[in-house]
Amino acid sequence: MTRVSHNPGRVDWSGENPGIYLKQDPAQAHYDTLALFFRVALSPYGRGHAAIVLGAPDQAQGWPHVPNLIMTDNQRMMRWIVDGWVTKMPTFIGKAGLGAMTWLDCDSVEKRPSDLKARYSETLRGSGVTLEMIWQDMGPPLPVEVTKENSATKEHEMYSVFLEAKAAQVKINGTAQPGQVADRQFFGRTMSTAFLAFSETWVTPAETNEGDA
Amino acid sequence: MPLNEPVTPGVVDWTGENPGILLKDDNGDFSAMALFFRVAWSPVGQGQVLLLYGTPGAVEGTAEAPNVILSDNPALTAFLKENFIGKLGAFANAPAFATLPELGAQAVRSSGDPMGHRYTETIAGEGLTVELVWEELEAPRALELTPDQVGTQEHTMFTLLVPSHSAQIIVNGKPLPGKLGTRVQAGYETTTAFLYFSETWVIPPEVS
Repeated sequence: MTRVSHNPGRVDWSGENPGIYLKQDPAQAHYDTLALFFRVALSPYGRGHAAIVLGAPDQAQGWPHVPNLIMTDNQRMMRWIVDGWVTKMPTFIGKAGLGAMTWLDCDSVEKRPSDLKARYSETLRGSGVTLEMIWQDMGPPLPVEVTKENSATKEHEMYSVFLEAKAAQVKINGTAQPGQVADRQFFGRTMSTAFLAFSETWVTPAETNEGDA
Repeated sequence: MPLNEPVTPGVVDWTGENPGILLKDDNGDFSAMALFFRVAWSPVGQGQVLLLYGTPGAVEGTAEAPNVILSDNPALTAFLKENFIGKLGAFANAPAFATLPELGAQAVRSSGDPMGHRYTETIAGEGLTVELVWEELEAPRALELTPDQVGTQEHTMFTLLVPSHSAQIIVNGKPLPGKLGTRVQAGYETTTAFLYFSETWVIPPEVS
């Protein structure tokens, strides 16, 4: 297959989208903690940051009853991304916590990248909550380009640069959410369930784009 | 469009943002050039680097139009000069390239909306404030370029181009003179003012 230099599709959004999925028992199928971070550089709804944490993914309750929450400085943008992307990702499909999560305002976001190998963290503060996502022991960057058929949403093409992390934590107000990093099959290989994702772009393919018109 | 194999063959050289503004005088020569890097991953860490040729035709710039680098990561500056900028003819062949002074960037800030009317990057340090302004923005387009289509002639490159039809390089409050020109990228005519987001440079297996 030959490359097409100019992707004819519609660029939806672009930015950074790292994640941490934790299990208390590596052999179990379900995750105990699901977390995604967003640093969006470009979207039809502007730029912004967000983090989603589902510490009780199957419970239809929000913060502070259970640790199901989203912190963001651009609610409109994130409503669009949650509806169009997160709800369609296999890890999040059907999770009651996603619909019930509490929407909190985020006042600040602090990144601590260190050397991009030993430790990387994003800290969000606001609404009385300090949320830390911490990745440790990162591998080399892996460039990925994903067709609609291979993508998490099954609707979009995606480009990104992934770095696996061998360990990770999600802390809410200093309390670590349960579970450890596990393995999963991703991109045809065994990969960690904690990852950094830089330079990520989502594109609606041209044929879908035309069909919508 | 992405290939069927989800993992792109090769080694990531660096990834991040790489917008620029190239202004020309009435003779068609460059009158001012600015290239900005916000690097999310490189072998020497993250960082932000501005390369400014306020006086592209001379080794020494002036106080109002300096030839200078502003950077918050000197190791990244060195990496980019050797592995990337040094392979881009328009920048590497400038008389000032080998001896560019490097100042510490103490504050870097982006503002505006790249899918709106205006986007800016402001880089400040050691008495110098450089503001890059892009306006009249086109819709973003995703590009996948092969080594024969990129300036280094060595990389596979993924990026998101937002062309701009009005742009300024402002040094300590004063715009540098010049007008935008046109250029062709992979068969597509565009301008010499551009935002590039989510840009990834991959060294293909045959090179790495």
